[in-house]
Amino acid sequence: MSRLFQAMKKGVMIMRLVSIVFAFMLGISIFAIPQNDAIAFTEQQISRGAYGDDVIELQARLQYLGFYKSKIDGKFGYNTYWALRNFQEKYGLPVDGIAGAKTKKTLSGFSDYDEGWVKAQLNAGNQFTYYGGTPLEQQVKPNTGGGGGGGKSSGSSNNNGTKTQVPPKYTDRDVQLMANAVYGEARGEPYEGQVAVAAVILNRLESPEFPNTISGIIFQPLAFTAVADGQIWLEPNERAKEAVLDAMNGWDPSENALYYFNPKTATSKWIWSRPQIKRIGEHIFCS
Amino acid sequence: MRTMLVILTAAVIGLGAYSINMHGKNASLQRTVLAQYTDSLTDASEKLSHLQRAVSQSLLFRDDNAIHNELDSVWRLSSDVRSSMSNIPIGQEVSNDWLSYLGRLGDEAKKTAKTGDFKAWREKMPQVSTNLQALSDEWSSATVDFYKNNGKMDVWLRQVDTKNPNTTFDNVHKTLKDYSEKDFPLTLSESDWQKKMDLKALQDSDITEKEALEKVKQLFPIIKDATFTVTKSSDTAPYPFYHIQFHQDIRLGYVDLTEKGGHLISYLVERPVDEARLSQDEIMKKAEEYVKRLGMNDVAFVESRENHQAWHVTFARVHPGDNALIYADGVQLKLAKDTGELLGANAMEYIQAETIKPQTAKPIDWKTFFDDDVKVQEVKNIYTDNGSFEQRLCYEVIAVRDKNAQETFRVVIDAENHNVLKVEYLT
Repeated sequence: MSRLFQAMKKGVMIMRLVSIVFAFMLGISIFAIPQNDAIAFTEQQISRGAYGDDVIELQARLQYLGFYKSKIDGKFGYNTYWALRNFQEKYGLPVDGIAGAKTKKTLSGFSDYDEGWVKAQLNAGNQFTYYGGTPLEQQVKPNTGGGGGGGKSSGSSNNNGTKTQVPPKYTDRDVQLMANAVYGEARGEPYEGQVAVAAVILNRLESPEFPNTISGIIFQPLAFTAVADGQIWLEPNERAKEAVLDAMNGWDPSENALYYFNPKTATSKWIWSRPQIKRIGEHIFCS
Repeated sequence: MRTMLVILTAAVIGLGAYSINMHGKNASLQRTVLAQYTDSLTDASEKLSHLQRAVSQSLLFRDDNAIHNELDSVWRLSSDVRSSMSNIPIGQEVSNDWLSYLGRLGDEAKKTAKTGDFKAWREKMPQVSTNLQALSDEWSSATVDFYKNNGKMDVWLRQVDTKNPNTTFDNVHKTLKDYSEKDFPLTLSESDWQKKMDLKALQDSDITEKEALEKVKQLFPIIKDATFTVTKSSDTAPYPFYHIQFHQDIRLGYVDLTEKGGHLISYLVERPVDEARLSQDEIMKKAEEYVKRLGMNDVAFVESRENHQAWHVTFARVHPGDNALIYADGVQLKLAKDTGELLGANAMEYIQAETIKPQTAKPIDWKTFFDDDVKVQEVKNIYTDNGSFEQRLCYEVIAVRDKNAQETFRVVIDAENHNVLKVEYLT
């Protein structure tokens, strides 16, 4: 009887030990999640102005917890900034709007991130959200020809679906349209010449003598050869897009030109009467 | 032989049918385009008459409300005619003149409505109204032939052929040029702005080509061993500068320096960029070092933007008196994401410092200025253009409206008279 009692007692102790070990393991596994997930982010600290995969993850995780309500687009703008500050405030972190190691670790610990799913939606240009607690299939609206990241606009995108970052007065559509024009007009020109063509379009935007939208300027009848011969519809390369970005950020190798022409092919007598500024590649730039 | 003949006949018939079909489609497309052009032309002509009447009607009233309605019409109609004009394939010169004239008329109406300076409007507009009537008549006679083209696009295009020196728009162009100068001469502020943009006011002494090259090597040591090609700007350029193109290993680019004083206008390099290796923080530190190395010690950081190859970082001159940022005196840098190398610098606006008149900043109670659901997050003092080419001391406010969704706005308010100069939606 006493043996039986002792065996039972031993059994109970083993059970208790197993329970303690189980609870301990569970505890470890719970606390281990943040550390494992934190690896998903890169080690780099990111703040306003940043762009790319880390920002996509940051936005998705903030949205998962309900802090970020805008579209996931990989651009660390003001909406991401406020969402991050609100998260930091709520979780007792220093409120600076900067995603450093501690913030990333805490965020990873309390949120989930399905990178494959998010990237797939961005690449497909689907409208989607990533709120926690709602099945993902209920948060996606397939692309019907528009842009990605839950947005409604179309525009230039790179491989992971993120758009370009441009000064607030321009849009992704402007980048796309100008890149088409630059590629159609100057794809054989040096990079400087491509930036100059983009700058001419932007100089016209500032001039009272031209339409006041980028689209209006590009499609003004008889203004650009690439529109007349259809080359504007060729798919622009990354170089043309980069040239547009540089022009939008202020570079103007044309030195304030409003016109340019190729002296070998120009048929207009009038264009020769314009005051010339400089020559880049095959183009002469004039005011 | 017989089979060959049959095949050949079938091919000829097929080709003929295809050609007729294509020709029909082409003709139909041309008619559609021509119809759109004719519609824009008619629209522009009709609205031009309405615009002339609106200018004339604006001179009828002494009552503020009544004149405001007419000013609104002038502004709206000038914008409508501008839009229609920009859709018509006419010569670039005539198109430019029209857009400029109409834009200036619209701006004048908008400015009058805002400032309430009806006296100046009443003094100026009788002549503008007469000129506009003359222009409208000239336009009608120049465009009458455009309606007689039997639906043929080539007839239209022949009339605006830029190779033909005597187009039907010659008179319109001459009249427009004359009236533009008389009706809307450049204001003093506009000329100053233009002069600054053209770097015409530089007083420094000229540098030689050799000195220009030395300056480039000193500013950008990474290309000191490059192969350089130096050319001078054309004689007709608004300001003289050296255009220095270079090539070194994987780097291709250019530097523009003013001839007067050898000031850096811009620098840009193209080279392959590897994956990002530097953090945002490291990039910003490098950007701060570069502006100092370029000799710009009076600037402060404004904003930065990352894209797939590079960071664009903006700085602006700090006003020595009140530490407000002068956005018009900006400098932009481009840094490679892999090594942080300086890929570009643009100092065109920085070269000539803005002339800032003394201004006072009167405080604003944000609680009464903004709606209840708007929270002011940041306030910064800046100088910016007020739309009339004057630099004004302003409050730059970052405000968040948090009702259904969180929306961020940048609001620029004149610090002295509290006029809102700009509102931007930030994402």
